[in-house]
Amino acid sequence: MTTELTANGKPFVHHHGAHCETAVTSALFGNQGLDVSEPMIFGIGSGIFFGYLPMVKLVHLQVTAFRNKPGSVFRKAAKRLGANFVIKTYRDPQKGMDELRQVLKAGHIVGLATNLYWLPYVSERHRHNFGGHNIIVLRETEAGFRISDPTFDHPMDCSADGLERARFVPGPMNPRGFMYYTKSVQPHPDLRQACIKGMKNSCGLMLRIPLPIFGVRGMRFLAKKIIKSPDKLGFQEACRSLAGTVRWVEETGTGGAGFRYMYAAFMQEAAELFGSDELARLSRDMTAIGDTWREFSVTAARIIKQRDKEAETFAKAGGLILKCADREEAFFKELQKVVKKLEA
Amino acid sequence: MELEDEIFNDGLPKAYYKQNDNGQYVLETDAPWAEKVSCALIIAGNRARLEEIRKAVLAGQQSPLCYYMEMRQMEPGMLAKAAGIVVFRVRRHLRPEIFAKLKPSVLYRYTKALRVTMEELKTVPNN
Repeated sequence: MTTELTANGKPFVHHHGAHCETAVTSALFGNQGLDVSEPMIFGIGSGIFFGYLPMVKLVHLQVTAFRNKPGSVFRKAAKRLGANFVIKTYRDPQKGMDELRQVLKAGHIVGLATNLYWLPYVSERHRHNFGGHNIIVLRETEAGFRISDPTFDHPMDCSADGLERARFVPGPMNPRGFMYYTKSVQPHPDLRQACIKGMKNSCGLMLRIPLPIFGVRGMRFLAKKIIKSPDKLGFQEACRSLAGTVRWVEETGTGGAGFRYMYAAFMQEAAELFGSDELARLSRDMTAIGDTWREFSVTAARIIKQRDKEAETFAKAGGLILKCADREEAFFKELQKVVKKLEA
Repeated sequence: MELEDEIFNDGLPKAYYKQNDNGQYVLETDAPWAEKVSCALIIAGNRARLEEIRKAVLAGQQSPLCYYMEMRQMEPGMLAKAAGIVVFRVRRHLRPEIFAKLKPSVLYRYTKALRVTMEELKTVPNN
């Protein structure tokens, strides 16, 4: 935790968060005087999701998304909490940078979507070509911009040139200078109503999208692919794609186990807010699901390291995902019933 | 083990949710073992592929453009969009004999898209 100054001299407290977008949203609201924790934003913005996208490849590996698409968490959370916010994208990089400077001068702090590869300060293990990393710009300095990246534990400096490149890099996940900030927030929003909306929306996203690659169906699809992968791709290539999946589960700022622990933390807070035992029980269920995902990644790592070849097979790893799918289906069906009983 | 330690001792730890003894979720910065293993595998794979392409370029089987494309973690489709050149032309330019005949104006577009200098784009590092 470090304190920084924004453009108009107001103090800004940098918090270390697990996930970029939720932590950015939480910080933007916090700066306007509304304290909402990161898991709470994640739940209200319906962040939890699953999608397996075999057609999008980043660095030769498929994308497995464990959260909703970049940008939607902020939009949904801000709407549900009744904030007055601005979201913009640009075609022209010059115009995008000019407007960023103007907004900073007006005294706002600004959230940006950037490409992780081109941010100058990240290290090799974070460096992959993914265009949905969110950061906060605090103010302009002589050398560039002062940036609070909640994924890392202290604020960073970034050159103007590097930031422009990261915001406007062309490609399949071009952020197009995606920029967002809050003009004002309600000091006492209706948290209970927002939570209910967020939970209902999440249930719909996980259970009701009629495509085989999203929600619990997507998990089963992925599980089948993983079970078949060593025969189809050969052991080495199958290991690489498995490692790619594990990276989406653990590495890309998920807070562990593909956001499942973060959602459990949200359920815990919601249980306190509503005083509901059922939500507390569901939070424990979610923790158990998270543990299963963690078990999957450990199994995958053991396959990669070739430890105990008899027991640790691709079939076992796929089986664990199938188990996750079954449990999550039960979880969200249960949550649907519980939410109906809650009163705003 | 060396690679895992190397890439995870970068001074930029991430935060993970974990339950403390009371069952409350708190943030801590110990990366899970599975993540270290898979991350190391992916990065080792990327480095090995880059090295392979570098050797192929020196042997005259690939053009230097291929090396820099791989270095920037791009694919022909992405590079085509970034440089404003049609995909099939980009694929052709991956062949060394065709790359050698390119006009400076085309090379300039690639230098812009890949953020390398003109001199760099014509060769690959020798060791």
